[in-house]
Amino acid sequence: MKSYLSLIPISAKIHRRQNRMTLLCIIFAVFMVTAIFSMAEIGIRMEQLRLSDKHEDFSFLESLTGTAMGQTLLMTAIAMFLLVLIAGILMISSSINSSVSQRTQFFGMMRCIGMSRQQIIRFVCLESLNWCKTAIPIGLLSGILMSWILSAALRFLVGEEFSNIPLFNISGIGIVSGILVGIITVLLAARTPAKHAASVSPIAAVSGNSEKTKTSFSSVHTGFLKIETALGIHHAAAAKKNLVLMAGSFALSIILFLSFSVLIDFVDHLMPQSAAASDLDISSSDGSNSIDCALRQTLANMDGVKQVYGRRSSFDVAAGLDGDTALSGAVDLVSFDDFDLKALRKDGTLCRGSNLSKVFGDSKYVLATWDQNSSLDIGDSVIVGNEQLTIAGLLNYDPFSENGLAGGKITLITSDETFARLTGIFDYSLMLIQTDSDVTDEDIAAIRRVVEENGYTMTDKRDQRTSGTYLAFVVCIYAFLGIITLVAVLNISNSISMSVSSRIKQYGSMRAVGMDGRQLFKMILAEAFTYAFGGCVMGCAVGLPFSKIMYDFLITAHFPYASWALPVKPLAVIVLFVIATAVFAAYFPAKGIRTVSIAETINEL
Amino acid sequence: MDLLEVKNISKNYGTGETVVHALKNADFSVPKGEFVAIVGESGSGKSTLLNMIGALDTPTSGKVFIDGKDIFSMKEHSLTVFRRRNIGFIFQSFNLIPELTVEQNMIFPVLLDYQKPDKKYLEELLTVLGLTERRSHLPSQLSGGQQQRAAIGRALIARPALILADEPTGNLDTQNTSEVMALLKEASRLYQQTIVMITHSQNIAQTADRILQVSDGVVTDLGRCRG
Repeated sequence: MKSYLSLIPISAKIHRRQNRMTLLCIIFAVFMVTAIFSMAEIGIRMEQLRLSDKHEDFSFLESLTGTAMGQTLLMTAIAMFLLVLIAGILMISSSINSSVSQRTQFFGMMRCIGMSRQQIIRFVCLESLNWCKTAIPIGLLSGILMSWILSAALRFLVGEEFSNIPLFNISGIGIVSGILVGIITVLLAARTPAKHAASVSPIAAVSGNSEKTKTSFSSVHTGFLKIETALGIHHAAAAKKNLVLMAGSFALSIILFLSFSVLIDFVDHLMPQSAAASDLDISSSDGSNSIDCALRQTLANMDGVKQVYGRRSSFDVAAGLDGDTALSGAVDLVSFDDFDLKALRKDGTLCRGSNLSKVFGDSKYVLATWDQNSSLDIGDSVIVGNEQLTIAGLLNYDPFSENGLAGGKITLITSDETFARLTGIFDYSLMLIQTDSDVTDEDIAAIRRVVEENGYTMTDKRDQRTSGTYLAFVVCIYAFLGIITLVAVLNISNSISMSVSSRIKQYGSMRAVGMDGRQLFKMILAEAFTYAFGGCVMGCAVGLPFSKIMYDFLITAHFPYASWALPVKPLAVIVLFVIATAVFAAYFPAKGIRTVSIAETINEL
Repeated sequence: MDLLEVKNISKNYGTGETVVHALKNADFSVPKGEFVAIVGESGSGKSTLLNMIGALDTPTSGKVFIDGKDIFSMKEHSLTVFRRRNIGFIFQSFNLIPELTVEQNMIFPVLLDYQKPDKKYLEELLTVLGLTERRSHLPSQLSGGQQQRAAIGRALIARPALILADEPTGNLDTQNTSEVMALLKEASRLYQQTIVMITHSQNIAQTADRILQVSDGVVTDLGRCRG
């Protein structure tokens, strides 16, 4: 031993098992940051390449900071990044904190034999940095590996605009930021525990763990609860600071989850994926209903065609609303065939209470476009010509307007048959084609020939399909969410495991006087659930308003027809996640205690 | 009738060259109602023996019968329930649960059995132990002697047939030591309980019915010492 600091690697070797969780936390923080920054660098490079191909004097930064959407995205990215960083610091900090508080006696002894406060602070900080030695390279390697896997997934599974993505890119920004984040978070996280360790009185060495000698002034209220449940709740609730930290861990992951759900909604609005999205649009040159309905069959039989569907339209048809028989109003009529109508249901475009099945075939029921200012309701009747039609369902926006708002205009969607009965029009104003995935350029050329021979125009929209990008975005968001969830689960189970180890002797005496394994598990579970419940309350109290603000900022501001609603599905997922985490977090420490003999646990410390 | 039978119990720690024989073929029995003291030097294997008798640890070989039941043949859950109902533990460092009051600590084994404590018996115990005034206090608000009396109350509440005490007076001053010893003997007499107690003090050992000496893991019966 050259200096007292030589104790660090020796102690690290001995406490390898206890340090595993702290190492894992650092690895995760480095991994996340490296992977995110590596992917971001690849993304920026690709975007730069794509845009500089189009505009020679283009600067990516200009577009990112110059446009409203760019700014919004940048701010969201920074906010999300900060949230993840805070989660990392909290996680590592709580881990180091537990490791320090478990060794109070050790630090007391160090003080006893002459280590100064300053030396203890240095010892703890260097000990934490010692973990970085192994954790950072592992984090960097796994982060780079993850970016390669993601690149390969984008290139081979998504393709399209990602088909040129470099496979084995090593990102300098990713590596530097990974190293920086590893060291900075560890140093920041080690500060408080280091001070805590330095404040341990030398007396702790002789009197045992100082935590143990603290007087507990609140007693357990068993009430109607079973003793093990009451004790578990008391263990959680008695240590207020710990309760806030643990509930905070749950809350942070809930807030992140709610925020990420908004991001997924945002991508949904930005790149709506309709089941009826067309690859080829055929329109008549004059925009009237002049596409011969016989063409539909001809096209359907051609190679490379998966689906042909057409729409007919009739604008400003005299109509009477609310029993107005004088027909003083006007509506637009659009026909959807069965495929188009079914797609509305698949896309989730119909408002709650809509009954699509009534609209099919020759019927007296129609659908209507809608927005929040619209006064229409399901069940309202509209008189068109000499027929009374009933609104069987509403669309949650107006797909025929620029901004998705109906703006006071009423558009009725009917089935093909109903439209023909009402208007006597059989020809189409628009014919849409979905092509097979293996359609060839020759197939497209053949379709174009047929279309143009008949005097119509064809627009090829295959390049505008966003399903690949959409998938890439959604997969990235979910992957990010998955990692955060995993980290949260690890952090929570680690903290509960630490809390259990600090009471190991007490649990030993409980087992000695007759607590069985199931009761022990229930006691730790009750503690975990108390944290989880507190976390849910905190998480929802902060997360829901935050989700609304993000929704308004990201979505409503750009898509005025969209409005925030209580995210029921994400909340249900959160509740399930919280329950699963609490059970997971309680199960392993309880199992761990049961595998150690009672005599060993009682004699611990 | 023997309440406790220890048959050829051995306990080894470690393997190969580093193996430590903590207990070597211990073999003895204790009749119902007897008060046995176990003496021996530190590290001689006294606590290991007591832990085996109380099923807090498993032996390398041998068997322990309590009331005719082979405790190590039981499954974990049945063993826990058996221990809860039939064995009372008293530890040197009391091992009370810090957040439970004296009364709650005493009735804890009964609560773990999801039973209602016998109020009359509880009051009787509190009176005998001199803890009636302190029943709502937390362990941290009690003196060492009071804490050990509460621990004795916890060991007695389920009316176990066997009480195992690991140096119950080790942390107490002379006055508290004699009080606790008097209580244990009173309990043994009143409730016909068998007591096996580890002690370092020869004086205390002399007050027991029989003394067992443990030396280097070997148990020797030193015979009866009171009439």
